[in-house]
Amino acid sequence: MTPGTNNHDMFENLRLELRRGSLVLAVLAALRKEQYGYTLRKTLEEQGMAIDEGTLYPLLRRLESQGLLLSEWREEEKRNKRFYRLSTDGKVILKQLLAEWQSINSSLNGML
Amino acid sequence: MDLVDRYLKAVGKALPEAQREDIIRELSEDIRSEMEDKQSELGRPLTETEQQTLLKQRGNPLLLAARYHQDDRRVAFGRQLIGPVLYPFYIRVLSFNLGLTFVVIGTIFLALSLSGQHIGFNDILSSSLLQLFIQLGVVTLIFSLIEKSLTKHPDRWDLSGTCGSVRLGVKIEKNISKPPDRSKWISRFESVSIIVACTIALIWVTGVQSYPFLILGPAAAFLRLAPIWQQVYFPIVFLTVLEIVRAAINLVRPDWTLFRAVYTVCVHCGGLAVVYFLIRAGGWVTAADSLAAGPGAYAHAAHIVNQWIYYGLLVTAIFSAVMLIVRVTRLIRQPRQWGGSPRVTETANQRN
Repeated sequence: MTPGTNNHDMFENLRLELRRGSLVLAVLAALRKEQYGYTLRKTLEEQGMAIDEGTLYPLLRRLESQGLLLSEWREEEKRNKRFYRLSTDGKVILKQLLAEWQSINSSLNGML
Repeated sequence: MDLVDRYLKAVGKALPEAQREDIIRELSEDIRSEMEDKQSELGRPLTETEQQTLLKQRGNPLLLAARYHQDDRRVAFGRQLIGPVLYPFYIRVLSFNLGLTFVVIGTIFLALSLSGQHIGFNDILSSSLLQLFIQLGVVTLIFSLIEKSLTKHPDRWDLSGTCGSVRLGVKIEKNISKPPDRSKWISRFESVSIIVACTIALIWVTGVQSYPFLILGPAAAFLRLAPIWQQVYFPIVFLTVLEIVRAAINLVRPDWTLFRAVYTVCVHCGGLAVVYFLIRAGGWVTAADSLAAGPGAYAHAAHIVNQWIYYGLLVTAIFSAVMLIVRVTRLIRQPRQWGGSPRVTETANQRN
């Protein structure tokens, strides 16, 4: 393995690690408005936070099992879709996470 | 069954059972929404190749399903041998194999016990442990090889729900409006399983010739295999090799369903002939002469075991004959069912 490839792999791993934490925040923020999986994916993609379905749906299930999201199956355009939205606990956690995010952001801005 | 259904079926096989239906419904909705978007963008229905490309982008069904698993169990000795993706399959196969093995061991000991032989706890324990280690070793080895292949080539998979060096691409003649019904094709997972199972059986059959305890267990100390087994040894090996060859051919040409149907009937006839000669032999084990116990001391045990083998062979013969009749009838009555392959000009040899 060349040093270039090694560096690229290392960067890719760190980038994914950095994104992973932000994705939860992005999903919670996007679900302040009720959406179903596919539109949520499109919304995130349009906002520059592309996420593949293999990551998004398990994440939605995990957040739901943690009580941060609520979901229900409903018919729309003659098709059954599962709609997600933030729960009351989810709204509280999102507020706290956003405060934390802004704090980290301002600290980093000060250092950079 | 369309491509999406086949992809979802492959994912479903590896999902946690309690959530399977719900996850599949949601994934199905996501895939169909994406396809509809793409169709609106192009202004026409998607071709099969375009559908395949979209599904390929979603990744290996096994890896996708693994992301829904909450538990992270794996088998590791220093380094990981079997990861969380294959772990549920590994446990399922191991449980089935061990269950079957212990039923066979239990039957042998029951027969010996009914024949008046003294069966000690140590005999049962040593036989069970030996089988446990053999099964554990072989199944773990096979799964660790699959794991290695999956880790090395995560993008190699097909829509039969398997992974490894298998292919998806199919060329269909341009003048054919209706694509072949691939749901009837022989799954490559099935072909690989048959090759593995027959190879293990071949090794086992060969080993039994030199080490009768592999089939008789502790009874090998006072029972011997009758000469009929030497007479049917080569026909059994020949039929097993034929089955391996057939599975290897269907691995390359899964669309050769008629070939498999005819071939299987021929091999089945060969198997029935072997069973016939075995039944005609009348005796399958003989009592070993024992200096300590005296000549004929184990004749009663041999008699009881022979009776059990006789009933076993009889049941096998009846079951095989019924299966043969069913297969031949299906072959004659539904000739069109096997006719899917001629439309396919070049099959699964193309890797996407």
